[in-house]
Amino acid sequence: MELKLRSANNVQILELAGRFDTYTAGEVRQWIEEAAAKEPANIVVNLQGVDFVDSTALATLVQGVKNCRQLNGDLRLCGVQQSVRMVFELTRLDRFFEVYSQETEAVKAFAN
Amino acid sequence: MNAARKNQESINEVYLKADVIRLTVPAQHKFLNVVGTCIRALITNESNVSDRDTLIYNIELAVHEACANIVEHAYAGLSGRIEVAFTLVEEPRRFIVELGDNGRSFDLSTVSAPDLTKPQTGGYGLFLVHQLMDKVDYYPEPGNNHWRLVKQY
Repeated sequence: MELKLRSANNVQILELAGRFDTYTAGEVRQWIEEAAAKEPANIVVNLQGVDFVDSTALATLVQGVKNCRQLNGDLRLCGVQQSVRMVFELTRLDRFFEVYSQETEAVKAFAN
Repeated sequence: MNAARKNQESINEVYLKADVIRLTVPAQHKFLNVVGTCIRALITNESNVSDRDTLIYNIELAVHEACANIVEHAYAGLSGRIEVAFTLVEEPRRFIVELGDNGRSFDLSTVSAPDLTKPQTGGYGLFLVHQLMDKVDYYPEPGNNHWRLVKQY
């Protein structure tokens, strides 16, 4: 899996590509833990290039949201592919995450 | 002829007619994508499949979660292998996945479903296996456990 990091408007952005699963989730978990420990804990995870998400990836993102919200921040998602979206719907996590189609929208939403 | 033997012969007959692909992978998370790649290739070969991408993802994710369970719980850090068999059967068309391991057994009936009203940081794996496949059977036998997952398409 590829990870690209950047920031915009005080929001930390993590762009992932490839397979986000038990084998690759450790690196993502570590980055999110570090990013979520700094205020403002505002994170956007761009999943546009992710074609496979498993239960460990879901758990990693859920923990990330919980960490961010403890510091009054949030972790938001964007670019979720249709097949990956199905996993969020089955687990009803689509109701828990704020999901945007575009990264710019997700970043802009933090300003509101 | 007893019923069990008759049933086994009937299963054997189906398998002889069907296309079966077998592979063996080390029980490590890093090799589970190989199993997924094989599923994708087999479904891609099939003609007249509606919503092929969703079918592939459903089967790939269910099998991945079952294999991850074997790595984490059956072998629990010990080295081992997962025997995988894919069978494509006609009438009704179905994709059968069998997984074998030599690790510890567990009681599938004691695994509770996650509370979907609250976000969880674990427990979605076996829930997804059941949600994504039409039939899920687990035959625990210490040192020779067997999963059978079936998806109609």
